[in-house]
Amino acid sequence: MLSWSQIRRKNRAWLRRHSYSFFSSLGVLLQHKAGTLMTVLVLGIAMFLPLGLYVTLTNLDGLNLHQDEWTAVTAFFVSGTDEAEVRRVADRLEKRMYSEKVIVISPAEGLADFRVTSGFGESLDMLEENPLPWVLQVSPQPGSTGQVEESVAELTAYLQSIDSIELTQFDYKWLQRLGRMLELGEAVVTVLVLLFGLAVVVVVANTIRLDVASHAEEIEILALVGAGNAFIRQPFLYTGLWYGLMGGLLAIGLLYLTLFYLGGPLGLLLETYGAVLTLHGPGGSNFLWLLLGGGLLGWIGAWISVQRYLNLLQVGGRLGRH
Amino acid sequence: MIEFDRVSKLYPGGSRALADVSFTIQRGSMVFLTGHSGAGKSTLLRLVMMLERASRGQVIVNGRNLSKTPDRLAPLVRQSTGMIFQDHKLLRDKTVADNVALPLMIAGLKYADIRKRVRAALDKVGLLGKEQAWPLTLSGGEQQRVGVARAIVGMPPLLLADEPTGNLDPTLSRELFALFEEVSQQGVTVLIASHDLALIREMRKRVLVLSSGRLVDDIPAGRP
Repeated sequence: MLSWSQIRRKNRAWLRRHSYSFFSSLGVLLQHKAGTLMTVLVLGIAMFLPLGLYVTLTNLDGLNLHQDEWTAVTAFFVSGTDEAEVRRVADRLEKRMYSEKVIVISPAEGLADFRVTSGFGESLDMLEENPLPWVLQVSPQPGSTGQVEESVAELTAYLQSIDSIELTQFDYKWLQRLGRMLELGEAVVTVLVLLFGLAVVVVVANTIRLDVASHAEEIEILALVGAGNAFIRQPFLYTGLWYGLMGGLLAIGLLYLTLFYLGGPLGLLLETYGAVLTLHGPGGSNFLWLLLGGGLLGWIGAWISVQRYLNLLQVGGRLGRH
Repeated sequence: MIEFDRVSKLYPGGSRALADVSFTIQRGSMVFLTGHSGAGKSTLLRLVMMLERASRGQVIVNGRNLSKTPDRLAPLVRQSTGMIFQDHKLLRDKTVADNVALPLMIAGLKYADIRKRVRAALDKVGLLGKEQAWPLTLSGGEQQRVGVARAIVGMPPLLLADEPTGNLDPTLSRELFALFEEVSQQGVTVLIASHDLALIREMRKRVLVLSSGRLVDDIPAGRP
């Protein structure tokens, strides 16, 4: 049985060994600046790609695309239809199963709206009378995608059967495509995270493998004077950890550079779609996950390489042979 | 301290390095192990350090039956054994002091204690003042003494040396053996594999003689 003071002494010894490896591995990395920089650059880019795509998707998802309007079927009345008829149709629609919300837009409201969004304000003043018809925006009952499609189809058929309605319009497809694209994008991000995570492990493992090979003599001597596997592994594991952390930091840096660089042109592009751009970074907790993940992957990569070498030094292995 | 009980070692491929070797070495004694190269001296030391396992028989070191000790405890066995090598096995990119400190770093001692004990060990081998020197700037004899300092710094109960005088001239060899004798007088068991027969005879210690893996002679101490 170990006494408390023995356990405390052991823990302190453990802590001393770890703090030594933690800082000495960083020191070694900083000594070999060029090599470290190249490895970190590769890791940073590998981690930036999935991160960048993820941020793109979250930004697209968060764009204010006025979902309600997009899923609404727009019905244009025959020019000259009176308000009473419009109200009657709206009333009937509101009582139907499939329509949830009906918005009535009078020609005057339509004109005012058009004046604001189109920028043709002055030319509109030259019109003697309002050319716009009465318009209804009917939102189908929300549900799963399939149900919406069904209800939209039925709603459209019903609207077209009304004589006073001249035209129906539905832009749902566009939104649906965007939704599907976002879903696809998320799947791509998942695949990229897995692939590039693997790449991080492999890059670190390979770098550490060379590191281990160049320290073969030192490792052998350490093992001969009684160092256990954990002690031999430690500095390499911390090196892997540092690589992962530095790669993660670089990826975050690259991300903000990209956001800064693309923010302007992207904002201008989106303005033409009537959307307002505010680019968001991935947020603190995601950064934390990226750093933790990067560090962990680096650690794993280092472990793989060192372990392969340590297996050669088992009892009955080649340790101490000339 | 060391007990071999009918120990045989067969290497994969069938070569027999040790055959039915039995002997006991008392705590605090100094013993030489001799024989032609290939007689099994290195294999015997490898078994004591738990670098190899016996194919048959029992190896008991410091009360621990190594045949029944799991691999993961091998580092502990090596920590309680000071080992000196013919080619010194010093780290070239570390100072003398850092080389000697290795076993204490592994044990996780406090830096202040490490410094103190490294100085004491270097003092004992006559290298005080060389702490910050690089191993390659030292002579062969000095390098070997750094190796001795590293072996004794952790105050292990057992010291092993594999051809420690292989690269030394007779004067330096004699000095080194005198150092080993001094260490053994402080209660450390010392086992030295060597084929420096003239010098071994001079020391008048117990000598184990190996030939083709068999223990063919066991000369007691005191006989010239």
